[in-house]
Amino acid sequence: MEGVADPRILIPARSTSRRTQVVVEQGIKAFFGGNALVAVVVLALITIFLFREGFGFFGQNLANLRLYRQAGLEYVDIIRGVSMEHESLSRKLSEIRLREVRTMEKRNVPLEEINAKLAPFDQFASSFSDTAETLHSLVSDLTEKASALKEKLFAQAELLAQRSQLERAGAQAEAARIVVPEVDRTAALASLHQGAATYESVSADMTAKLYSLFAAAPPLPDPAAQKNFEQWKTRTREYLAALPAASEKLRTWSSEAEIPWYRSLSSFLFGREWITASFWQDWYGIIPLLVGSIMVSIVALVIAVPLGVSSAIYVSEIASRHEKRLIKPYIEFISAIPSVVLGFFGIAVVGQAVRAASQSHFFKWVSFFPISERLNIFTAGCLLALMAVPTIFTLSEDALRNVPRGFKEASYALGANRLQTIGRVLVPASLSGIVSAILLGLGRVIGETMVVLLCAGNRIAIPDFTQGLGAIFQPVHTMTGIIAQEMGEVVRGSTHYRALFMVGLVLFTITLGINYLAQKLVTRFRMSIG
Amino acid sequence: MEDRGLRIEEHRGGSPSAILHSPSLRRRGRLLEKTLFWLFRLATYFVLACATYIFLDIGIKGGRTVFTSKAPFINVPFLTEPPQTLYVFDFEGKKQTLSDRQFREWKVTHPGVSVEASSIAYSAGGIWPCIVGTALLVVGSMILALGIGVSSAIYLSEYSRNGRWIRLVRIAILNLAGVPSIVFGLFGFGLFVIFFGWNVSLIAGWFTLGLMVLPAIITASEESLRAVPQGLREGSLALGASKWQTIRKNVLPYAMPGILTSSILGIARVAGETAPIMFTAAYAMKDEMPWQVQRMTDFFFQGVMALPYHIYVVSSKIPQNEYTARVQYGSAFVFLFLVMLIALTSIVLRERSRSRLSW
Amino acid sequence: MVTVLDMPETTSPITLNQPAPAPEPEVERGMIEIDRLGFAYGNHQVLHDVSLSIPARAVTAFIGPSGCGKTTLLRCLNRMNDLIDSARITGGAIRIEGVDINAPSVDVVDLRRRVGMVFQKSNPFPKSIYDNVAYGLRIAGVTKRALIDEAVERSLRSAALWDEVKDRLHVSGYGLSGGQQQRLCIARALAVEPEIVLMDEPCSALDPIATAKVEELIRQLKQQYTIVIVTHNMQQAGRCSDHTAFFYLGRLIEFDLTTKIFSNPGQRQTEEYITGRFG
Repeated sequence: MEGVADPRILIPARSTSRRTQVVVEQGIKAFFGGNALVAVVVLALITIFLFREGFGFFGQNLANLRLYRQAGLEYVDIIRGVSMEHESLSRKLSEIRLREVRTMEKRNVPLEEINAKLAPFDQFASSFSDTAETLHSLVSDLTEKASALKEKLFAQAELLAQRSQLERAGAQAEAARIVVPEVDRTAALASLHQGAATYESVSADMTAKLYSLFAAAPPLPDPAAQKNFEQWKTRTREYLAALPAASEKLRTWSSEAEIPWYRSLSSFLFGREWITASFWQDWYGIIPLLVGSIMVSIVALVIAVPLGVSSAIYVSEIASRHEKRLIKPYIEFISAIPSVVLGFFGIAVVGQAVRAASQSHFFKWVSFFPISERLNIFTAGCLLALMAVPTIFTLSEDALRNVPRGFKEASYALGANRLQTIGRVLVPASLSGIVSAILLGLGRVIGETMVVLLCAGNRIAIPDFTQGLGAIFQPVHTMTGIIAQEMGEVVRGSTHYRALFMVGLVLFTITLGINYLAQKLVTRFRMSIG
Repeated sequence: MEDRGLRIEEHRGGSPSAILHSPSLRRRGRLLEKTLFWLFRLATYFVLACATYIFLDIGIKGGRTVFTSKAPFINVPFLTEPPQTLYVFDFEGKKQTLSDRQFREWKVTHPGVSVEASSIAYSAGGIWPCIVGTALLVVGSMILALGIGVSSAIYLSEYSRNGRWIRLVRIAILNLAGVPSIVFGLFGFGLFVIFFGWNVSLIAGWFTLGLMVLPAIITASEESLRAVPQGLREGSLALGASKWQTIRKNVLPYAMPGILTSSILGIARVAGETAPIMFTAAYAMKDEMPWQVQRMTDFFFQGVMALPYHIYVVSSKIPQNEYTARVQYGSAFVFLFLVMLIALTSIVLRERSRSRLSW
Repeated sequence: MVTVLDMPETTSPITLNQPAPAPEPEVERGMIEIDRLGFAYGNHQVLHDVSLSIPARAVTAFIGPSGCGKTTLLRCLNRMNDLIDSARITGGAIRIEGVDINAPSVDVVDLRRRVGMVFQKSNPFPKSIYDNVAYGLRIAGVTKRALIDEAVERSLRSAALWDEVKDRLHVSGYGLSGGQQQRLCIARALAVEPEIVLMDEPCSALDPIATAKVEELIRQLKQQYTIVIVTHNMQQAGRCSDHTAFFYLGRLIEFDLTTKIFSNPGQRQTEEYITGRFG
């Protein structure tokens, strides 16, 4: 061992450049810290901008709803409701006829004979629909009047807004030059109000006609059809009994009644209709979109959860090492498939296949098959399931793998087999982890845009749940889909534009909630396994 | 287990040891185990089969567009030409399908002939501008995301102490990761396109996409940074290295491979997203290439065509028929191929580094 | 910086029976003065009211059962505890050459350069042997190749590693044996010319032969450096330290010349620990 060499002064004990170095050091730290804050800032900005663009919706929608009342559109819609109900009864009649024809065709009755047999019924149906003729013409007459008034009021409001804007900008002279035409609302509304009297006479007339028609209602040959027909009759009687109520509504209706501010919110959150760019009245109700999103997500999860969780169990507990090394990266690989490609695949292949399957002989026993739309909830759900499986798989597999070895060993040491160990020890221990995986899968599915935009059918309607499971083969529109589809076409600052931002805000809130729940569960999972 | 044994004993009146050693019970257990394991296996392979079917379907049908039977075996015009409108018409008993340019030439060579041509948008030509646009979007947004993301991760793993602020940052990152891409699109539209007045532009797309992958990059980078053993930091600090010197010389170099590997998966995500760029950066059709601009600054403030948006347009805005399948499947194939190549690189690199890295 | 050209030469290895003549702690003011130091991790008080004066150019050993706070105290001396989130000083001060090291005006980087540290688990950087030793110099801004070469050789010689590695300076430090890695870490610490070297159980992961080499090295180094060593090993403390401080449950029980502690401890607890009745 050699002796210790003499140290020499190599480094000055405290160089002056150290001080600048310290400043630089702090600058760097501040720089990194600032970058770390970006995430917070972005989240805040997202919230702010969704609110900023979306919040004006309530004021505009309230004005929209007020105009609906002031121009008497609401009044006309009361009568329109009655007339629509009549139409739907008419449709019911032709449905009954269709069923009758089908049963007779099955019995190989020739077409001429069917027609002959149903002639009295056809006669009845056409007289039934004739009874509403005056009602329909009343509605179209009033519609014209009301929409003319609405247009005038709308133009007036626009001009007023323009003038006040100019005034605020200080251009008094120009503001004065804008002529705002007076709208004679009272006269127009008075002429609308005359509709009430007409309605009363029309409805009395219709009631009388219908009762006499009932007396002459022809019997139907098929007992099942006859039963339907009887049901129809009861419904029609109820309809007739409700006619005076509408008349009462008309009489008490006033164009001046105040619309409370919360109606703007409730008509958005609970509104069952999303109708935009209509000549009559725009409705911004989120329910059809929300229901669409939820239905698609449920279908996707129902498919994806069993697949994802069982493959997670398979890979973490059962598969051989070679399988594991192949399957895990492959499933991760699936998660990288771009959603637009999946959507395209849905249009090009899956939709067609689903419809073909529904037409096949094999599924003849299913009551709601064959389906008419190839793009529907089920098609979109299947594809979304494929997107959710990797998320659910990866996180569940993680949770299963993180269960401490001791748990497993203890179970085996007691003589449990692998299935018992999985079912009684591993899955319960990792349950909150698995549930949070499912929630994150749900978050991914509900926020997914391209697949639903391309494959969910884009019909803005609440599916007809009376069909039972058949409802999942109907087309819907979703919250993500509507934003993607309509955002590019709306006028900036319009009610429609703001409504889309509000939909975005609802979507954002929902996903935040799901995320929050998932994180809560993950924390609990970590705590439970120590 | 014990609990169950006791219950059985009560019902059957046998001794627990008799039940514990009953061969019939064990056999039934084994059968159930086997059946269920097969079900699990089936579910797993079903998922793999579905994905494989998608790859094969798009691979085979798209391959018909992208590859040719003659040398150079790749359909060069499809990859290098802009999209054009396709004209289909009957002429002298033969069906003619011509692209926009060819159709105009054809009209010149056949003067006086009037044909009734049906036109199908986007179905002729290629997808070159879309590939370029996507590449531009990906590169820009990844530079942005890596810059901010790695810096954030350095702060979180090296500088921060657990305080209220850091908890807030972590919560924000977690929640940002769950925000739907369409909401990012709305946000980018509201902030960059309207509020900043950047219009539909590359730079608005960069920021939107960059901020969208940020959480993934931060999480991955922090993980890599934390994997560097504490001893290396302490050793360096104890020698009088400053914090930044320690990070730059003794932490980042060892964390960088991991950071980059994980970020590649972020690239795949950026490239694959459509919703955020729909109203921030993408045009359905644009005649000039991105570099054909008057001034340098115009480069950043121009919208581009992008492959995913192009696929959306050709699969939803034009009908599905024999003439459109070419461009639909071709674009989907090229896009899927590119994204999957990136994802594959990332996964392979990670698997390899996992087996190699050991501190 | 103290240059020690005028140090008296020690001629023979120091043995247990023949301790080096060390200055009396009571007489000379110590290089490191610890004054009523209290220290806590969160709400858990680890050190209570520790006062201690560590003399220059001697080896001071901290002994005591696990969890008694000796490593914590050691890490306080170059403020390594700053890296731990919840750690805080609850009272008192540490002065090195009269300067309070926790004063806001003190630059922690500078402090750590003057107070080097060798860790329990050897932690060479994943770089070559040469780069490991040169790291501290480069960090400090030394760029001249010749100076670095010279310093590397000198440090490796000081750490008694030169002969073993001089032919493979540019291979990875990970290729060395455990004992060599630890000596490499010592060389790395010496290269930046610290005044004080802290050693946190430097031999705990080493075999007896490697341990003997490192202990020999420690005895050599005290000619120029003030060394503070934490150890679990009574024999090691006896063999290579001049002063010994015994800690128990976060308190300093006894501090005296090693010979005195081992032959005639003043406290019953010290005696019980040293004779192996607990700990």
